[in-house]
Formats: sequence, C-alpha cells, structure tokens
Amino acid sequence: MSLGSWAELIASGLITGGVYALVALGLNLQYGLMRILNIAHGEFLMLGAFLTWAAHESLGWSPLLMLPVSFLLLGALGLAIHRLVFRRLTLTSANLDVFEARGLMVSFGLMFLVQNFAQSVWGGDLRGYDYLAEPVAIGGAQFAGNKLLLLGLALVISGALIALLRLTLLGKGVRALMQSPTGAQLVGIDTERLHPLMFGLGLGLSGLAGCLLSMSYTISPGMGEPYTVTALIVITLGGFGSMTGALVGGLGLGVVEALGMHFSNPSLKSLLSYGIFIAVLLWRPNGLFTRK
Amino acid sequence: MMIKRDLLILFVLACGAGAMPYIGSEFAVSMALTCLMYVALSTSWALFCGTTRYMSLATAAFFGIGAYAGALALELLPWGLVIALGAVLAAGVAALMGAAVLHLRGTYFAVLTFGMTELIRHAITYWEKQVTGTVGRVLMVVPDRDTVYLSVLGLAVLAVLCTIVVRRSRFGLALVGIGADEQRAQTLGVNTRLVKVAGFALTAAFAGAVGAAMSVRWTYIDPATVFNPFIGFQTVLIALIGGAATLWGPLIAAVVFSLLAETLRLQMPQLYMMSLGMLLILCVLYLPGGLASLRFPRAAR
Repeated sequence: MSLGSWAELIASGLITGGVYALVALGLNLQYGLMRILNIAHGEFLMLGAFLTWAAHESLGWSPLLMLPVSFLLLGALGLAIHRLVFRRLTLTSANLDVFEARGLMVSFGLMFLVQNFAQSVWGGDLRGYDYLAEPVAIGGAQFAGNKLLLLGLALVISGALIALLRLTLLGKGVRALMQSPTGAQLVGIDTERLHPLMFGLGLGLSGLAGCLLSMSYTISPGMGEPYTVTALIVITLGGFGSMTGALVGGLGLGVVEALGMHFSNPSLKSLLSYGIFIAVLLWRPNGLFTRK
Repeated sequence: MMIKRDLLILFVLACGAGAMPYIGSEFAVSMALTCLMYVALSTSWALFCGTTRYMSLATAAFFGIGAYAGALALELLPWGLVIALGAVLAAGVAALMGAAVLHLRGTYFAVLTFGMTELIRHAITYWEKQVTGTVGRVLMVVPDRDTVYLSVLGLAVLAVLCTIVVRRSRFGLALVGIGADEQRAQTLGVNTRLVKVAGFALTAAFAGAVGAAMSVRWTYIDPATVFNPFIGFQTVLIALIGGAATLWGPLIAAVVFSLLAETLRLQMPQLYMMSLGMLLILCVLYLPGGLASLRFPRAAR
C-alpha cells in the first residue's frame, strides 16, 4: 500500500470516529451525570439527520445553517423530555439503582417512539443529498470535501465541549456533580437546573452528529441504533465520565474499524464491534458502570 | 387456598384455549397462538427476572437458538424431542452466559445480555452466509396447525404451572431473597450463584422450547426474524406492564398486547410501535408495580 492510500484509510477511520466521538460525548454526559443510560440516544442522531435532509430538500437550506438549528431543536426536545419524564422518575425512585433500571426502560420506550415516528413521517427508504461532494487532493490522497468538513467540525465541537467543561464555571459545576452529587449540592450547585440542561446538551450533540452525518452518508430511520451501541463501546473504552476518553476512544475505534474492515471481511464488522463490546465489558467488570 | 384457586383458574383457561382450534376461525387461532407464545415467554421471564430483578434482554437469543435447533432437527427427530432439544440448547447457552455475567447487576447486566443477543445473531448470520451459503432456511415438513397450537398451549400452561410450583418452593424463596437483598440471602446460606444460574437456565429453556415450537409456523426462518430483539423487548415489556412480581400479571398483559398487536400491527405498524413505546414510558412512570398492582396493591409493592 502506498502512503496515500494509508492516509485515506486512516482518514476514513478518523471521519467515522469523529461522529462516534460526538455521539459518545453526549451519552457520556447523560450517563456520567444523571445515570440515564439513554438507549434512544442514536435515534436523536437520526432525527437530526432527517431534519437536516428535510430542510435541505424542501427549503433549500444549507446543511451548515442546519447545524445550530438542529442543535437547538434537539436540545429543546431534550429539555422537554427531561421535564416530562426524567424529572418525575427522579422524584419517585427510591434510590439510584431503581432510577437507573427504570430510566433504561423509559429510554427503550423512547427508542420505539422516535424510530417509528420517523418511519411514519419519512418512510423507511434510504435518503441522501449532495453537498460538497467534490474530492479534495491533499498530498497523494483524495478526500471527499464533505467528509473533511465533517471531521473538522466534529473535532471543533468536541473540543469546544471539553473546553466548556474544563474552563467555565458551568463546567466546573457539572464535573463536581459527576464526582459527588451530594457534595455538589451542599456547596450550592443547582441540580434542578443543571440536569435538564445537560440532558438537552447531550441530545443537542447527537442532533449535531446527525446533521454532520447526513452531509456525506445516506440516512434511514434505522440508522440510529448502531450508533448507540458504538457510543456504548466508546464510553467503555474511554472510561465512563471521561470526556477526553470518549473523544480519543471514538477516534480510536473508528480507525480500528476501518483497518479491521480493510484487512478482513466487511460483513464481520458488526460481529467485531459487538465482540469488542462484550470483551471490554467482561474484561473490565464494573469499570464502566460504577463509580471508582 | 391460594394455590387451589390458581390451579383452578389455570385449568379453566387452558380448557378454553384448548377448545380454540376446534371452534375458532383461522384468524382467531393464529391470534391465540401469538397470545400463548407471549404468555409462555413473559411468564417464564418473570419467573426469574421478575423475582430476582435481574433484567435480562436475552430472551430473543434463547428464542432464536430454540428456533434454529428446531429447524435443523425437524426432519431427524420426533416433534416432542425437537422442542426438548430447543429447550436444552437454550438452557445450556443460558448457563454459560449466566456464569459469565450473573455476578453483575442492574443496567450492566441488561446491557450485556442485550449485547450477547446481538453477538449471537451476528455470529449465526455470518455463519449462514459464509459456511452454508444461505441467508435463511426453508422448512419443508411441518407439523399441522393444531399440533403446533397445542404444543405452544402446553408450554404456556407449563410455564404458569412452573411459576406456581416454584413460588412455593425453597428455590422460589431463594429467588425472592436474591431480589430483595442478594448479600443477605448469601449470608443466610443461599448458594446465590447456583440459584441464579439455575433460574436463568430455566427461563431460557422455556424461551428455547417456544422458539422451537414457533419456528415451524413461519416455514421460512432467518436470523433477522428469530433473533429479532423486538421479541425480547416485547416479552420484558409485557411482564413489566403486567407486573413482573405477580403470577397472573404477565398473562393478562400478554393477552391484551397480543390482541392489540394483531389488530393494530397489520394496518398501522408504526402506530402500534409508537403506542407500545408510549405505554412503556407511561407504565414505568405511573404504574411501577404493573397492571396487577391495580388489583393487588399490596402484593405488587
């Protein structure tokens, strides 16, 4: 293999990895902060993708314009869902374990609801549109413009989120809540405000990821579930609650998948990722879902 | 007193369901069959998962293993042994899986069982594609409709009967003890590991047997149909909505759901799935003890 095709292979891994990272960051935020293991997370990515596609097809809006729009729409949806469902769940659950189990069931319900809603509105077909599809040559390698844009934006957004959590007072509050919910409340951090906000932020991130995905891949109502599973794998790999871990884990998994698919059989892909998932979960028991 | 009443109810229900193929229309029998399938699946699910509160999402895996075992053995073995083979294989896989993951609780257990189901499904899909070179299998010789119906009815009755017996046994008490406080049960001398693996295998045996019995009804099976995670979700959903800790809750919910499914799904599949999701959310939020808690508020606490 030439240097150029190696670069193309690694880059294609990084590009899918960028999306993985975005989805995983959102899921990690929800699980790490609130212990909501949102199985429906990938469905909101799908919603973001379809919103972008619909706006592009019927209104002619640029997908770039849809980035903030889908972020805000999905974020608002997240606030609404938290308000309607998870707030009551928090109030009525006896302890965190019960909350976690019930939250998991609720998110399964959300998955059915959202996925089939999309199917009844947009139908089950594959959709797509052309945006910046011309190849760009860098060195000896060729990349589709939209995929480079995808990677760049995914990195910028992930970086911005990490900076937000590291540098601002809000981020400090969120990290404190992750470390010790009781301690954080004792020093006056408002859980009632931060929880919905972060749930909305998580959903907004998956909306962004969907918007980015729709620029260069075809989309369908069933596209979300694999991303949920991948996000679970990524937060297992990167360490639960760790944002940098999710970013590195996402990019890493993307590259590993691209290499694995290139050198073995493409139909092994899902077998591989589920295999990694289970191996990691068994190999690091309690590493993912309990606080160290 | 309670046990006599329960046995009597079961007997009456079984007789009513048993008369179905002779009096009902083709559509009614097919509906009743789906109904019985979910009665068997969710009652046996609740037997282990409801009492111990280990939320298994692996029902689809056991169902699929049973279905594949049934499909492969159908032409070689008599019908009764085909079902038994499905049960034994599924129980074997469950014992292995249980030994690996049953020390983990809560979300972790649920997610792992789900992941393993998907792994088994993809492994069999890959195997079929690469080794046998097909995607699905066509079943040539199938038993007639009434045999299938009566077998599934038998399994459903057996599942309820098994639950009645287990609830009154030491084994059942151990399961409830694990559900209430696993460490305490262990301290009081329950071999929790053994009890959990045995309970998990028992649940899986029922799912495997139902899978083997139902596979002949489709005449064509492929991994996507028989390992459909939805079978697992719906089983859990029915048990939870009915009341996983009760005897009759899952049965009642299974009947209600199958009726809803068969009538709504044909015309408006998406609407059916959406209402299912909505119901699940509402049920978790407002009826954590299940439908049965409306009638027995104390027992379902």
